[in-house]
Amino acid sequence: MSQRQRLILFSVAMAGLAACFGWAASGLPGFGNYPGPYGPVILHDAVAQTRATGVVSAVNFDYRGFDTLGEEFILFTAAAGLSVVLRRLRGEREREPDREPETDNSNKPGTSAAVKVPALLFTGPTVLIGWWLASHAQANPSGGFQGGVTLASALALVYLAGEFIAFRRLSPVMLTDAVEAAGAGGFAVIGLIALAMGLPYLDNFVPLGTIPGSVSSGGTIPLISFFVGLEVAAAFTLIIGEFLEQTLLIRRGLWITSRSSWSPGSSPSACMGS
Amino acid sequence: MPSLPVVVPLIAAALLLAARPLATYRRTLDLVAVGTSGAVALILGFLIFRTDHSGSYWFAGFHPAHGIAVGIEFTIGPLNAGLACLGATGMTAVMVFSWRYFTQVGTYFHVLMLTFLAGMTGFCLAGDVFDMFVWFELMGVSAYALTAYRPEERGPVQGALNFAITNSVGAYLTLTGIALIYGRTGALNMAQIGAWVDRHPPSGLVTISFLLIITGLLVKSAIVPFHFWLADAHAVAPTPVCVLFSGVMVELGLYGIARMYWSVFGPGLGHRAAVGHVFLALGVLTAVVGALYCFRERHVKRLLAFSTISHAGVFLAGFALLSPLGLAGAALYVAGHAFVKGALFLGAGIVLHRLRSVNETWLHGRGRKLPVTGVLFTAAALGLADLPPFGTFLGKGWIDDAAEAPAVTLILLACTIVSAGSVLRVAGGVFYGLGDPPREDERMAAEANEETGETDTARQRTPLSMLAPLALLTVAGLAVGITAMDPHASDALLAAAAQFQGQPAVKPADVTVSSVVTGVASAGGAVAVGLAGLYWRRLPVLRSLYEPGARGLGLADRFQSGVINDYVTWAIAGLACLGGVLAAIIR
Repeated sequence: MSQRQRLILFSVAMAGLAACFGWAASGLPGFGNYPGPYGPVILHDAVAQTRATGVVSAVNFDYRGFDTLGEEFILFTAAAGLSVVLRRLRGEREREPDREPETDNSNKPGTSAAVKVPALLFTGPTVLIGWWLASHAQANPSGGFQGGVTLASALALVYLAGEFIAFRRLSPVMLTDAVEAAGAGGFAVIGLIALAMGLPYLDNFVPLGTIPGSVSSGGTIPLISFFVGLEVAAAFTLIIGEFLEQTLLIRRGLWITSRSSWSPGSSPSACMGS
Repeated sequence: MPSLPVVVPLIAAALLLAARPLATYRRTLDLVAVGTSGAVALILGFLIFRTDHSGSYWFAGFHPAHGIAVGIEFTIGPLNAGLACLGATGMTAVMVFSWRYFTQVGTYFHVLMLTFLAGMTGFCLAGDVFDMFVWFELMGVSAYALTAYRPEERGPVQGALNFAITNSVGAYLTLTGIALIYGRTGALNMAQIGAWVDRHPPSGLVTISFLLIITGLLVKSAIVPFHFWLADAHAVAPTPVCVLFSGVMVELGLYGIARMYWSVFGPGLGHRAAVGHVFLALGVLTAVVGALYCFRERHVKRLLAFSTISHAGVFLAGFALLSPLGLAGAALYVAGHAFVKGALFLGAGIVLHRLRSVNETWLHGRGRKLPVTGVLFTAAALGLADLPPFGTFLGKGWIDDAAEAPAVTLILLACTIVSAGSVLRVAGGVFYGLGDPPREDERMAAEANEETGETDTARQRTPLSMLAPLALLTVAGLAVGITAMDPHASDALLAAAAQFQGQPAVKPADVTVSSVVTGVASAGGAVAVGLAGLYWRRLPVLRSLYEPGARGLGLADRFQSGVINDYVTWAIAGLACLGGVLAAIIR
């Protein structure tokens, strides 16, 4: 199809689809008129059943915890898939460093202190907030996903401060892989423990505590949230690291190839031969 | 117990990722992967025959109260457990095959295969629309990464991009459909939505959310015009992975459509027969398009991919008859097809491993040094052509019986003859050197196209770990048919199909004489088409119709353009047309 034909067909089809969607949306309840039974039931039962005041977390990690397991593994798989897709491109760069233009890094301006200082200043608080988010799912609508992303962004701040080597030292691929595996596997194993105790999979087998919303209440909810936090932090660190490495490879080819040996993931021989 | 088929591969995947530094202990990792998929297949096999439970499994023990499901349900019946078991069995065969296929793979291949397996089983067993979507996505993400497994070449990355983008567009629309129906019913549990839909008159919201939810599934099951990505992805994905893509993943999409129809939306769509006719038309169109593209293809993996598209059309037609017999036929056909198609892909994998090419023209006569592979490949191709007693013949026979329409039977028969005939043409040319040798210019073109192998070094012998899965899958294709001919087995399958549809089982399924005759005729016709393809140049009548190898049919290439924008445009256009037709039926 030519660009023009495609555009015409797409516009007509989209108009048809939009009409269908409009027809469907006309059957939706009005704004604010939630008709479903799910919300009221959960609001009524959640605190009594789980001792978690973060009802969203109770749904995420208890009522519908099995969905969350799947979602966590989608991220896990995406990170593994990214490593697969990017590893070879990196290998190609490494084989032909001579064709890269020699860049003299000493002539380039370093990271400005105006960026460096705030980035490093914020790193500590970001870690703290991430940790707090990941470990307080039972108390409020936080949880492992938000906490994990925040933790990973603390490492991104380290990079922003111009410390790529420090970024890599803080997150060697072997470590991120292990943490990712521990986080993802840990969640699945918590469910298995319930099974071993003769309960249904992912049953909340840990004592729920007495005070709703306190740090020790909620049973498996904070535990699962913690493991999700580990997995998400490691997966995002891995993803950010892979993309940063790609960018650096393209920008300063030789610089990175000569130092790639301390990063096990960047060695193509560890993955697959040509 | 029902959670284990999903959870065990997930934990194994996490373990293998953590074990990445130990990648030198390759055989241990292989054993973990083979053992896990084998164990999953066994558990699922046990679940198929478990009759003492209702089949409902509530995660975390949240049983529904007052008809409101707050937790997630697995609904386990013989059909969906059987389909998941088929996937796990195929996975086991593939993991054994891969034992010596890749020389150095690290652990990523195993990790991705195991998450793929978990996604397939979770998708099959889920009784909750959102949970189904989650596992569907896990299966998809794993599949995209597996397709791009060799990113050192341009092809795999492009094929994987086509695959990922078209399927993601479909998945977004599926999620939109789920949001729509949740917005009205406040429920995600299939039975609960189904009960709501049953109580209310047909409406635009129900119709369109059905349409949107099945969009992702139509893309995955490669129904025309949502099918374009499939051949591009199959051509470049590692051959062992293609076994699962063709044998199970495409069929899972169709299963999802059937599940959505029977468990959730069927009653709400009112005029059932007319909706069935729409899907029947789509199925027949898909079967025809797939068969035609299959015939003109010279790249063996793409050719097999188009044959899968053609068969997906037949499966859809079986479901669209909306009768237990049609569905039972489709289920049996899916099982029979998965084994023989898997065998064909493994055969292609061995050819690629030994001869470093999958180009039919270049390979002409060169497969003579692979006699065992040749025999098994030919046998599987005859199985694909519905030769009794392969499972395919009886499945197709039941679909024909259920259709009670000679026109449909004839068209589907012709499609099978053409697509299986093309595969037989490959078998005859490559392994037995039949037909005219390729002309010099064709050979040059083929050599230019020759792709680099997936394996490091071409070996002098075919390892047993490759031949055994090929032989086992071919035999399994036969075993399915022989088992299903037993009256007890066929009645059980029919009862399972009726249970899936919530209908009483009425018509006993037998091995009718007509199905045997049709099967033999189909295989005979396929052999004729294969021979005609091989000796095409000596047959002036046929040559005047179409010149093979000339890539002359510009129109065909213009559709299958490889441009993602085109593929998405066609999918949206197909969706708008389907929406219009459904609207006309419901109103």
